[in-house]
Amino acid sequence: MTGPRSREGGDVHDWGPLVGELAKRKERALGMGGPELVARQHSLGKLTVRERLDLLLDPGTWVEYGMLADHMDAGLGDRYLAADGAVTGIGEIDGRPVAVAAYDFTVMAGSMGKVGEDKIARMRAHALRQRIPMVWLLDSAGARIQSTSGSSFAGAGALFREQVAMSGVVPMVAAMLGHCAAGTAYIPALADFVPMVKGTSSMALGGRHLVKAAVGEDVTEEEMGGSAVHTKVSGVADLEVADDAECLRIVREYLGFFPSHNGERPPVKQTDDPVDRRVEELYGIVPTAPRRAYDVRKVVAAIADDHEVFWMKPEWAKNIVTAFARIGGQPVGVLANQPMVLGGALDVNAADKAARFVWLCDAFNIPLVFLHDVPGFIVGSAVEKQGIIRHGAKMLFAISEATVPKISVVMRKSYGAGYFVMNGLAYEADYIVAWPTAEIAVMGPDGAVNIIHRKTLAAIEDEDERAQKRLELAEEIRRNIDPYVAAGHAQLDDVIDPADTRLAIARGLRISADKRVDRPARKHGVLPV
Amino acid sequence: MAEIRAEITANVWQVVVDEGQMVAEGDEICILESMKMEIPVVTEVPGVVRELHVAPEQTVQEGDLIAVIDEA
Repeated sequence: MTGPRSREGGDVHDWGPLVGELAKRKERALGMGGPELVARQHSLGKLTVRERLDLLLDPGTWVEYGMLADHMDAGLGDRYLAADGAVTGIGEIDGRPVAVAAYDFTVMAGSMGKVGEDKIARMRAHALRQRIPMVWLLDSAGARIQSTSGSSFAGAGALFREQVAMSGVVPMVAAMLGHCAAGTAYIPALADFVPMVKGTSSMALGGRHLVKAAVGEDVTEEEMGGSAVHTKVSGVADLEVADDAECLRIVREYLGFFPSHNGERPPVKQTDDPVDRRVEELYGIVPTAPRRAYDVRKVVAAIADDHEVFWMKPEWAKNIVTAFARIGGQPVGVLANQPMVLGGALDVNAADKAARFVWLCDAFNIPLVFLHDVPGFIVGSAVEKQGIIRHGAKMLFAISEATVPKISVVMRKSYGAGYFVMNGLAYEADYIVAWPTAEIAVMGPDGAVNIIHRKTLAAIEDEDERAQKRLELAEEIRRNIDPYVAAGHAQLDDVIDPADTRLAIARGLRISADKRVDRPARKHGVLPV
Repeated sequence: MAEIRAEITANVWQVVVDEGQMVAEGDEICILESMKMEIPVVTEVPGVVRELHVAPEQTVQEGDLIAVIDEA
């Protein structure tokens, strides 16, 4: 089609070359770091940043911000850095928008350049302003030292402060999809949820070469900060996943439990699983013999809608289980003591894990369900040196602060401060019930007898006679550790058949759905950490 | 060789395996008694029990060696 001619003789509607040039530029950006580096990314078992976005987001929802960005750094010459190594934009997960910042390892190792970081700052601002979750896909060597090794660093660091301001306002997920050092290791540390891909991802404050130079240690990224370290030993990450695809699926699943921001309720998911389903398999799972262990994860799965459970930090501090599940479609955060590990006794890491999980749920209006079977905090000189008092205090602090609905089920024992931190009656439990096997007391009869009757027992010289007396006295104490004594004092709202546990939790959630607790105004408490 | 160590200060209540015995992943090696609970100690690897360092009634500290498994 030929339009009118201009004075110079050209077509005045000559859009073809202009649109062509635009398409060419976009195609170049979509080519990322070029075919060779894309092939290398694939050979490492990793997906490209564009493939990752396709798996993370609902099809056709991606709105990219800053695709045409480049480094704009005279020092890097006329080299082209697609999107400046950071792909940013807004897409949808299950029909709800999320802001995404995805580092592209094929572009200068995903290093953090000035323009790329400006783009990500815009996403943080956007997430906060629109009150939508923020997801980082991390595959970055960290700071672009080539550009920032000078004293312009003095102005840097806003990214972390801004992330702190976002905390508890919008959900933040940092998916670890590559080896990340320094800057890109603090991003996950400040995020709510951190899945790590086994084998290809790591995080460390200093990368391998820096570590060798600074402290003389010769280690691989994997040994220093791989998924095994962070999901089993340090507790920095939440889940180890097999590959990129599983990681992105897990991010979608995780966000399905969360509202878009702290002013909303979490989304209810329809289910055909009736809330009054009798959970009779619990009779087979939980022994009535009080000292016998069992796997509490089976209890959580049996109670949950459709037996579906999302485990958080399942390989770390295994003496307490933290998980998301749904009851009658309503998302809940479950904390359950695990008798299989350390007898379910709480230690410093368990307190850490539990406190953080409670803060996470409370920030986003996710009700909490506590399944008690806890002999208390571990005692002894080893744990005192680790600071178990302040860690225990941290868990007390988190439980006390939480204003979401809190439902407690005392399955078996619940002793001492263990009962408090598992949301005992005094911790604003909205509905607290017990099984007939429940034992709630300051300590168990075997421990108590040695304290209460120490002198009586010491006075008996014959060893057999003393052992017999100890058993008798312990039995006397045990008679007072009985759920019907607690129920008699109305310190338990009910004693239930274990098979009705799911129904009891559903009722508790219904009763407390519009819970409101007002605390005295303050900047913040002084947190024991 | 995989070392199995105590995760808690405890009394050894029962030793379930003998030296030279084959074990599968998740099998109990011994049962400790601590915090009023029976705490099973299991192997995370299959193999042969090469060394056993505990006996009933003995006390173990956190980190003490319980057994060495020769990985199959």
